[in-house]
Amino acid sequence: MTHLTLDKVSVHYDGQPAAAVERVSLDIGKSDSGRGDFVVLVGRSGCGKTSLLNVAAGLVEPAGGLATVGGRPITGPGSDRAVVFQNDALFPWLTARENVAFALRLRGASADKRARRADELLSLVKLGDAGDKRIWELSGGMRQRVGLARALAAEPEFLLLDEPLGALDALTRERMQTTLLDLWAAAQVGVLMVTHGIEEALVLATRIVVLAPGPGHVVRTFETHFGRRYAAGEPIRAIKADPAFAVGRAELTDAIFEGEAA
Amino acid sequence: MSVSAYSERPAAKAGENDGFSVPWSRPRPKRTVVSARLVSAITILVLLAAWTAAASLQLVSPVFLPSPAAVWAKFVVVARDGFVDATLIQHVAASLWRVFAALIAAILVGVPVGLAIGISRIGRGVFDPLLEFLRPIPPLAYLPLIIIWFGIGEPSKILVIAIAMLAPVALSTAAGVRGVSRERVDAARSLGATRTQVIRHVILPSALPSILTGLRIALGAGWSTLVAAELVAATRGLGFMIQSAAQFLVTDVVVMGILVIAIIAFALEFVIRRIERVLVPWAGRE
Repeated sequence: MTHLTLDKVSVHYDGQPAAAVERVSLDIGKSDSGRGDFVVLVGRSGCGKTSLLNVAAGLVEPAGGLATVGGRPITGPGSDRAVVFQNDALFPWLTARENVAFALRLRGASADKRARRADELLSLVKLGDAGDKRIWELSGGMRQRVGLARALAAEPEFLLLDEPLGALDALTRERMQTTLLDLWAAAQVGVLMVTHGIEEALVLATRIVVLAPGPGHVVRTFETHFGRRYAAGEPIRAIKADPAFAVGRAELTDAIFEGEAA
Repeated sequence: MSVSAYSERPAAKAGENDGFSVPWSRPRPKRTVVSARLVSAITILVLLAAWTAAASLQLVSPVFLPSPAAVWAKFVVVARDGFVDATLIQHVAASLWRVFAALIAAILVGVPVGLAIGISRIGRGVFDPLLEFLRPIPPLAYLPLIIIWFGIGEPSKILVIAIAMLAPVALSTAAGVRGVSRERVDAARSLGATRTQVIRHVILPSALPSILTGLRIALGAGWSTLVAAELVAATRGLGFMIQSAAQFLVTDVVVMGILVIAIIAFALEFVIRRIERVLVPWAGRE
């Protein structure tokens, strides 16, 4: 079991009067033989979700506390923690396949091996026939799939997803949720994801961490099982229709807006 | 109202007010659209006609304004027999060689300088004032100094043109580098890219559209500097040809040379736009 751990992490941006995040602890586990944790951060704007994700990614240095991966302090970004952003951040001068193969190219893998692995990953995200497409020829949902495949090509232990479905339309989002679960089940990674979607959090997470602003802190943590049920073979519609899902949604909504005048 | 009671509103007939339209949404009356290209063509034709008329009516002495026919005839003669010991092709080749040698020099220096300005604060501190100092100086002003320093040979001519090209190349590169999206860089870093790899695989390709725009501007600047560069001790080149012709008041060669320079500049612009379309097809489509 490998862990990505934030221990009482605070984030304070230069020039800001107050801290963005104060003493937040998180733990994402990644099993060596099976699924890892799927931790979802939710909360109102300004609660520091993205700041925490950036600390985990090594893109932001915490002002206090300690971030570690596999017991070693995080000192910068690394391919053991691949990030997928809301806006795809793909490279338009490369084809979809070359985008996916980017991490392999950085490592000096042979062209042949790169193409083979990229095609495998593209079929994993159900874009098997789009390898030669240019990025601007793809829809928003397809771009995010390429982004996910590109992140997986780095063979990360952890996937850090910063509102990866935020820019997609509602129907595409719904589809992408199951894609994410499929990837999580197939790729044996621990996932840390930031989202605004309450239902999305419930569908995907094994653990939901609710944050509140001023400065960002944890208000509640939920252990959920809907994602595991999907991974075990239950259809997603049946899961969402389960009364327990509605209860979970109500509880989660309450937690997010807790302390705020209704 | 229940959903089943919903009925589709009949489509408004053409020209009929559907009761929802606001005055500014009504279809505009059909107008003939004049293409800008057509207007440009007409403008050029009118100018040519005026030139022909002025020349054939002898409103101005042919010494000052040769007729289009005379310029064309001169073009044929110079192309075949040459002027001041070189054919037109040789003059064009000499000028093109200087401009392209200068362009390559400007790229070799300007792109790294622009990169340094774009990615490093020290780079910006060092190069920004130098470029701002160099940029507004007219080539004719630094030409004497360059001749004093580097003599009257070919390197001086290329250097004069290259200096004029340097600022556009460097500044466009810097602008392109600064415009690279943060997320793109972060994504690459989280995929394991080192700083050098980020520059090589993310920043440079991202900045390429901007760099190419810079090259286009630089080529324009280079052509405008050509005549100045060929002022001293040249034996070939379009600028030299025009000046020699001017000294002997061979106005038709002067006019012809000007037109040839304009046509070549236009052709280069066209070629660069083509190159842009091939090299950076994503520009403006992200």
